Amino acid sequence: MSTATASADTHTEHDPHATNTGISNTKLAMWLFLGTECLLFGGLISTYLLYKTRGNGKTLPTDIFDIPFTSVSSFVLLMSSLTMVLALSAINRGDIERTRGWLLTTAMLGGVFIGGQVYEFTSFVREGVGFTTNPASSAFFTLTGFHGVHVSLGILMLMSLVVASVQGRLKPQNAETVEIVGLYWHFVDIVWIFIFTVIYLIPAE
Amino acid sequence: MAIIEEPLALESGQADIAERPLGVMTRPQGGNGWRDWLSSVDHKKIGIMYGVAAMFFFVVGGIEALLLRTQLAFPEQGFLSPQLYNELFTMHGVTMVFLFIMPLAAAFANYLIPLQIGARDVAFPRLNALSFWIWISGAIFLNSSWLVGGGGADCGWFCYSPNSGITFSPTHGVDFYAIGLLIAGIASLISAINLIVTVLNMRAPGMTLFRMPVLTWMLLVTQFLLAFALPVITVALFLLIFDRVFDSQFFDPEAGADPLLWQHLFWIFGHPEVYIIILPSFGMISEIIPTFSRKPLFGYSFMVFSGIAIGFMGWGVWAHHMFVSGIGPISVLAFSLSTMFIAVPTGVKILNWLATMWGGKLWFTTPMLFAVGSVAMFTIGGLSGVTHAIAPADTQQTDTYYIVAHFHYVIFGGGVLGMMGGAYFWWPKIFGYMLNETRGKIHFWMMLIGFNLTFGPMHVLGLQGMSRRIDTYSEGFGFEFWNLISTIGSYIIALSVAYFIYNTLRSRKEARDLPPPGPDPWDARSLEWMLPSPTPEHNFDEVPIIESQDEWWHRKYGYDEDHNVIRIATIEEAAQKGDAVGVHLPSPSFWPLVLALGLPLIGYGIIFNLWLCVLGGLLSGGAIYAWALEPVDDPDADHGPHDDHGHDADHSDDDDDGDAVAVGADDSAGDA
Amino acid sequence: MRKHTVSEVTTPRRSLGGIVILFSLVLAGCASDAELDTLKPQSDVARSIDNLMDPVLAVAGVVMVLIGGGILYMAKRDHVDGYEELDFPEQIHGNNTLEVAWTIIPAVIMALIAVATVVTHLAVNDTEANAYSVEVAGETESWEPVVVVVGQQWWWEYRYYFDQDIDAEALGDPRLLPEADIVTAGQMAIPVGQEIELVISSRDVIHSHWIPALNGKRDARPGFWAPWKLEADDPGVYFGQCTEFCGLSHSRMRMQVTAMTDDDFQAWVDQQMTPAAVPVGAEDYVAELRAGNNASLGESDSAAARGLEAFVSNCSSCHLIDGVNDLTYTGATTESGSAPDLTHFASRTTFAGGILNTYNRDGSLNRDDLSAWIRDPQAMKGNAANDLGDGVAPRGMPTLGLGERTISDLVDYLETLGPKPSDELIAQTEVD
Repeated sequence: MSTATASADTHTEHDPHATNTGISNTKLAMWLFLGTECLLFGGLISTYLLYKTRGNGKTLPTDIFDIPFTSVSSFVLLMSSLTMVLALSAINRGDIERTRGWLLTTAMLGGVFIGGQVYEFTSFVREGVGFTTNPASSAFFTLTGFHGVHVSLGILMLMSLVVASVQGRLKPQNAETVEIVGLYWHFVDIVWIFIFTVIYLIPAE
Repeated sequence: MAIIEEPLALESGQADIAERPLGVMTRPQGGNGWRDWLSSVDHKKIGIMYGVAAMFFFVVGGIEALLLRTQLAFPEQGFLSPQLYNELFTMHGVTMVFLFIMPLAAAFANYLIPLQIGARDVAFPRLNALSFWIWISGAIFLNSSWLVGGGGADCGWFCYSPNSGITFSPTHGVDFYAIGLLIAGIASLISAINLIVTVLNMRAPGMTLFRMPVLTWMLLVTQFLLAFALPVITVALFLLIFDRVFDSQFFDPEAGADPLLWQHLFWIFGHPEVYIIILPSFGMISEIIPTFSRKPLFGYSFMVFSGIAIGFMGWGVWAHHMFVSGIGPISVLAFSLSTMFIAVPTGVKILNWLATMWGGKLWFTTPMLFAVGSVAMFTIGGLSGVTHAIAPADTQQTDTYYIVAHFHYVIFGGGVLGMMGGAYFWWPKIFGYMLNETRGKIHFWMMLIGFNLTFGPMHVLGLQGMSRRIDTYSEGFGFEFWNLISTIGSYIIALSVAYFIYNTLRSRKEARDLPPPGPDPWDARSLEWMLPSPTPEHNFDEVPIIESQDEWWHRKYGYDEDHNVIRIATIEEAAQKGDAVGVHLPSPSFWPLVLALGLPLIGYGIIFNLWLCVLGGLLSGGAIYAWALEPVDDPDADHGPHDDHGHDADHSDDDDDGDAVAVGADDSAGDA
Repeated sequence: MRKHTVSEVTTPRRSLGGIVILFSLVLAGCASDAELDTLKPQSDVARSIDNLMDPVLAVAGVVMVLIGGGILYMAKRDHVDGYEELDFPEQIHGNNTLEVAWTIIPAVIMALIAVATVVTHLAVNDTEANAYSVEVAGETESWEPVVVVVGQQWWWEYRYYFDQDIDAEALGDPRLLPEADIVTAGQMAIPVGQEIELVISSRDVIHSHWIPALNGKRDARPGFWAPWKLEADDPGVYFGQCTEFCGLSHSRMRMQVTAMTDDDFQAWVDQQMTPAAVPVGAEDYVAELRAGNNASLGESDSAAARGLEAFVSNCSSCHLIDGVNDLTYTGATTESGSAPDLTHFASRTTFAGGILNTYNRDGSLNRDDLSAWIRDPQAMKGNAANDLGDGVAPRGMPTLGLGERTISDLVDYLETLGPKPSDELIAQTEVD
């Protein structure tokens, strides 16, 4: 769908999708948006790293991490990227049925991850590490909470696509829409891999 | 989008059957009157609305400044209480930066970028409308704290923790500051992405990046800076709100938090912000000076690259705002040196402007006076900037009036004067009549003299040791004389602004008896001047094919074999007529406005009652879905093969982006 | 092309001339009695900063004149009143040699400034290991001259520890500092010609400590002890002002440094280390108090003695006086947990955060301001003390609603907390 960049000399045919970069406006906008999101998560991750040992005499989040549990939910989220890819390849083949199935699977895997996060948060609070306990816990809940909200919005977008497909509004020519939602979804995934490594796996000194 | 090379023959927005997404609102059909403005997605109308609103807040911020200067006219005055003084200087800074200069630059960016690159609109017209409505709702929200928040924020525009915490600032002012800036930030972020995509993707055939006017270049750099600086302040503002409203511990030193966290986050945003403010003006100066020197811009590529260099280096200097905060001598040194070297690309720009003027035919019209005045004043601000890049000297200067003098020379001298020149320059293009030149020159001299009287003495005051942000001062430190001069100067600036507004109204009236300015009253150089004035709604009758820098100039003039300038075509011959009929345009929509209205409700909800958040969330969320279901273009409008927005193949394309970005935006506020 | 009709062409000559004049005024340093003037250094450190800055200001001035002059010159030489058809100068698009030149030349100038900056910066941030001999309680202590500086809304506290080395890392929470040999407020005494190290922190928001004649400023940041230093060439009084915005009365947070000869400094130390004098007639009362008993002064003819009792009942929950309530004092109920130490209140020539004079110009006690301050401090210095909700600690001295007689007694008592400084010092430290 994307032709070469338009130039005065070569551009003679009439292609409604031609852009100067060859990338559609929407996709370019999503890339830029994800670029800005890097800075957002960069700020939040830096905040957590600065504060992760500041417990004000109370329990630190690092003290009560359940690494095996979080590893499993991280794996679930990672798998959802795979199903997202499968959804995209399905719609590229024009198979709306399968697209819907994979989108639904992706959303459900995301839902499992969110469920895991809710469980983790409640067990943390039960163990005395709440949002207002100390700078470390405030930073932990803010960072993972922001990520959780991003995943939830991704689920909302996926479900919107599923509903659109049920209504027959999602057609093979909308493959790019699925691709763009997929970009967002993969980004949220990658951010989690980063968070998981930096927050959970690198021990506090 | 399509690149159109022939006149279009489409009816736009003329359908008889109105579509009712969600059965709530009739799709607006365009036309005249206020409804048209509320639903417009036309980048030119949005630009004008940005400009008018920015000027309104210029007056608001100016009145705040006058109150401050009145209090400081004489020592030990009680005209303002210390609390009110603190609120006023905070709101003065916030208003001037976020509600005046940034939106004024956005006004020019919206209006001029599509014209300068030969596009029919921005990449996402409805998102563009959304940016404006979100920004204005944030601006009104921010200022509503005077009425319902127990006064303005009293923490300074920089709002250092822990002074911004609930303990030390118990009124709601800081809440309004944080949420208001978050809302305005969402607007700028959306707008930045939109404009970047526009410049990268929607240039006319042949308009390569290095044929773009320098103004478009500088605005592009500005949008990149915005896109990457705003998320950082977003983080900081969220942490502040969480601390104040939900008792988190980000900025409580007693719990072991570090006040420097705020400072770093704020200035990582705050320093690029300076270039966000100044670069648009640099771009305008780079258009005005060549036009009135009758020479091409000297060293175009150096101007572009120095602008990009400033954009990059601007990220590596933020801690020069923190030289005395105790960040460690080596950090101080590193940031001191990086700050000094950002002077180099800035100096290149100044010298290139001078070289453009050198040997030219200098016609000092009002825009030229403002542009040249801006170069001179910015030079002073830049030089004083070098003096506090020197870290040891900065330990004497920081937080004194010397700094106030410096950044007003940069922001007012470099930014506002340049943009005033831009206003006079593009006024006929935007409004179809010229501003009176004699009055314009009087305005310029009043403003320049007032400006120097106000801020020049602040250099002296600062070096004499007068601290910033003090609501009064004692006799005997030698502050009396210069403060009085400064206050007198501030009133002259106020008069000059009033005179400018008078000039716009009076010139509009007089224009009825004058011949219309025509497409190109200044014999200028870039594409927008090939269009009739004011610009027709569809911009270009046909999208031009670009063959060089200064395309418009080269359509008028060429060279003979001896390299003498010869005329190729008159303006009338070369200009477009603006008479294309039935050009298909994106349809207007009310949903951006509705979506934007939800955000301040969420803000009030966070401060006063969480139920308002639910209401605001429903309003914004509903608007997002209605928006997503509403096609970019009215499906009842007849579509032909020349659709300018390339949606006919996949309708939901733009829609879903609107969804994605807008949901993200909603999230940022809705989640606080 | 048509000729444009434009009224008259003005050149930017006038105002640029004005700016040049303004800048030369800046360079000349202007005002005569400016005690905070940054261009009148009185110490090696401040001088090294000034020596760095003056040439840069001069270079900046030259550059400004060159650019401004260039614009004026071109405006005079090349201006036109509109354009004739094909009225074009030579069309020059650029010149790479020039571009390279004016990239490199400023870069070289900046590099030179950078070298000077590095040298000065390292010198300013370097502290010498030194020692100063002070006689404390008859014994000579080798004092590593460190003064602990603590800011709070809206006054400065200076603490002297003669018998211990201050380790900034180990100082910890500024609210829980070890007992000091000397604690003063608003005025810091230092021996002349001696580099004094400061460690600066804050008990609430960020403040900034700045004595322009002696050195640049350094922020007082809660949770962090910032190292800094001061030195004065000559005996005298050096004024300062808090320079980081710190809330309501930021403008009313001032301080002074009194530089003294070695003998004077020793005398000052001796005075300050003596417990407060007890007014005649109140000795038994104080003895009872210190024994932890409920004491009452009873009827007394001595206003100062009555003032002491008024202090104990109204002021001692926040203020400390060594020799009166030092055994029971646990800190103030203010937000910062502190209030100025009043042990030698009358030996200081300013009070209320350095904004009011303790003595009149003729050397008599400034009863008017003292009484007014005790009567209604809010009226003289907004401090958000009284209009706060429940459970919120005041951030300054609250209005206590004391009777006039009590106020007068308190003033009489405060006057005894001397010794009264010399008339010369009173004159030098006078604030407006």
